[in-house]
Amino acid sequence: MNRFLSKDFLSGLMFIGFGLIALYFGQKLALGTTVRMGPGYVPRMLSLTLCGLGLVVCIVALVSGSDPVERPKWKPITLVTIGIVCFGLLFERAGLIPALIVLVTIASLAGEEFKLVEVIGNIIALSVLCTLVFKVGLSMNIYVVRGVW
Amino acid sequence: MELLDNLTLGFSVAFTFQNLTYCLLGCVLGTLIGVLPGIGPVATIAMLLPITFHLPPTASLIMLAGIYYGAAYGGSTTSILVNLPGESSSVVTCLDGYQMARNGRAGAALSISAVGSFFAGTVGTIIIVMFAEPLTRMAQKFGPADYCSLMALGLVAAVILASGSVVKAIAMIFLGLLFGLVGTDVNTGAQRFTFDLPELSDGIDFAPIAMGLFGIAEIVVNLEKHLTRTGGTIKVTSLWPTMDEVRRAIPAALRGTFLGAALGVLPGGGPTLGAFSAYTLEKKISRDPSKFGKGAVEGVAAPEAANNAAAQTSFIPMLTLGIPSNAVMALMVGAMIIQGIQPGPEVMTKKPDLFWGMIASMWIGNAMLVIINLPMIGIWVKLLTVPYRFLAPAILLFCCIGAYSLQNSTFHVMQVAAFGVLGYIFVRLGCEGAPFLLGLVLGPQMEEYFRRAMLLSRGDPMVFLERPISLGLLITTTLLLILMAIPSFKKARKEAFVEEEG
Repeated sequence: MNRFLSKDFLSGLMFIGFGLIALYFGQKLALGTTVRMGPGYVPRMLSLTLCGLGLVVCIVALVSGSDPVERPKWKPITLVTIGIVCFGLLFERAGLIPALIVLVTIASLAGEEFKLVEVIGNIIALSVLCTLVFKVGLSMNIYVVRGVW
Repeated sequence: MELLDNLTLGFSVAFTFQNLTYCLLGCVLGTLIGVLPGIGPVATIAMLLPITFHLPPTASLIMLAGIYYGAAYGGSTTSILVNLPGESSSVVTCLDGYQMARNGRAGAALSISAVGSFFAGTVGTIIIVMFAEPLTRMAQKFGPADYCSLMALGLVAAVILASGSVVKAIAMIFLGLLFGLVGTDVNTGAQRFTFDLPELSDGIDFAPIAMGLFGIAEIVVNLEKHLTRTGGTIKVTSLWPTMDEVRRAIPAALRGTFLGAALGVLPGGGPTLGAFSAYTLEKKISRDPSKFGKGAVEGVAAPEAANNAAAQTSFIPMLTLGIPSNAVMALMVGAMIIQGIQPGPEVMTKKPDLFWGMIASMWIGNAMLVIINLPMIGIWVKLLTVPYRFLAPAILLFCCIGAYSLQNSTFHVMQVAAFGVLGYIFVRLGCEGAPFLLGLVLGPQMEEYFRRAMLLSRGDPMVFLERPISLGLLITTTLLLILMAIPSFKKARKEAFVEEEG
């Protein structure tokens, strides 16, 4: 087992990464003085601390070891993310129902079992429910179906 | 009798038709998600945040609170009947509750847990009423430096009660604080970390972050785990406990209530901690500890009372000081901010109807929950048979629509996706989401107070040590940090969490 692939070591790297990103993008912000702090003072302080803490986490992980990272299963996280992005792209252009069909289908593929009949049933039930709750009930300003093509 | 006036005001607000409806809605939803494993109150409240935007402030907070304590009730039902804790706060109830059910005492266990919870909820509400005014008055004396130190204490204390590495949890707080800085700087108007995106100039919206980190990540993890439901539900016969059971349950419930109430107020405390401590206490003081785990009534009554009392009292720091003590309270603060209310001591003086209405509604909600849970138990158990493959897409869908509805913008939906990925990374790396959320919520205020304090002291950081309140808070914070480094305490903390996970 590679000791660099432990949960803690990678977390430490993540913290350092975020700290460095914040330092890089915050470098143009004025620091100001301790009396009159500029917009960059607190971000600089926080990102430096974050880098420091990340370093500590890394060192502790290397010295005393930590749990190895479990091999991630790519299917659920990838499909769920793709599903949400597709929903976002379709919702305004095509309306609620098309976006819903795409999201529910992709999300159902992420699970362990995929039965077409069930998914269709789920889509129909959710379409009715969402239209009633969001369009009729909360009278939100959304399109149910909208032709664009 | 100012207190009575306040309570009268509270009940008059809570008893309006609209608020009663939302209270009931919250309780039903809470029970529902409490019964269903795989979705907890944090994820649910996160997903409902955008919808509360369309509701009046009082109604939305009443509903969200209902979800929180409702989940504590619902979780115990499944713990007792199918040995599946719907919520982490009812994990201990499984130990003796399920055994009682197997001994044919399911009905007794359910009614003891419901009535005990109701009693504890009532006491919890009374405690809030008693402490709210003095604490608020105290908080009004706080200067910027004191507030800054108070927030530091709140954040550090919350870490102690998070499981896992302390340094990692502190780093998560800082990461949260950093994310909280995104947007326009209040003092100078400078754009910070907005990457020239106009959508980010008001800061990253709280709701998409919470939905992504807790809702989406939770769904993905559950999809990976192949969440399966076990059958074999136990039939409930009579709900009436025997005289002997009642005699043993009452003192246990009393002890649980007070222990839970005390632990609920602590930063980082809450229902789960309360339930575990109450169970441990009962086991320690019992004359016959061997009967625990075999269906002891005390093992049901005490933790059930404790988790409910703690659910109530954890509102105290949030309502009076504006300091959230756990992830759910951070979300409540978020809900207030969405409504344009700055949480803190001013809420009670400036919005007494909201403050007292919410407190009164908690007591009404607790009464509703007894009715929702006991006679309708069969319906809830039926729900357990709904497979997760139906739920997951539905939950995702509500997340997406909710995020969009915040500002009618697709940008928020994309944010949910991005924070879902981040949340998943956090889970995989064993980083707790709760400290991140607390940092995020407190970040902007903390910076504000810090800069104001430094301005008032002309740049002298000694101001934090010269003001007695601030000094006291900082000493407590330091003591807590030292305590964490002591090996024996570290070991005890680790053991406590091992038991919790087992």
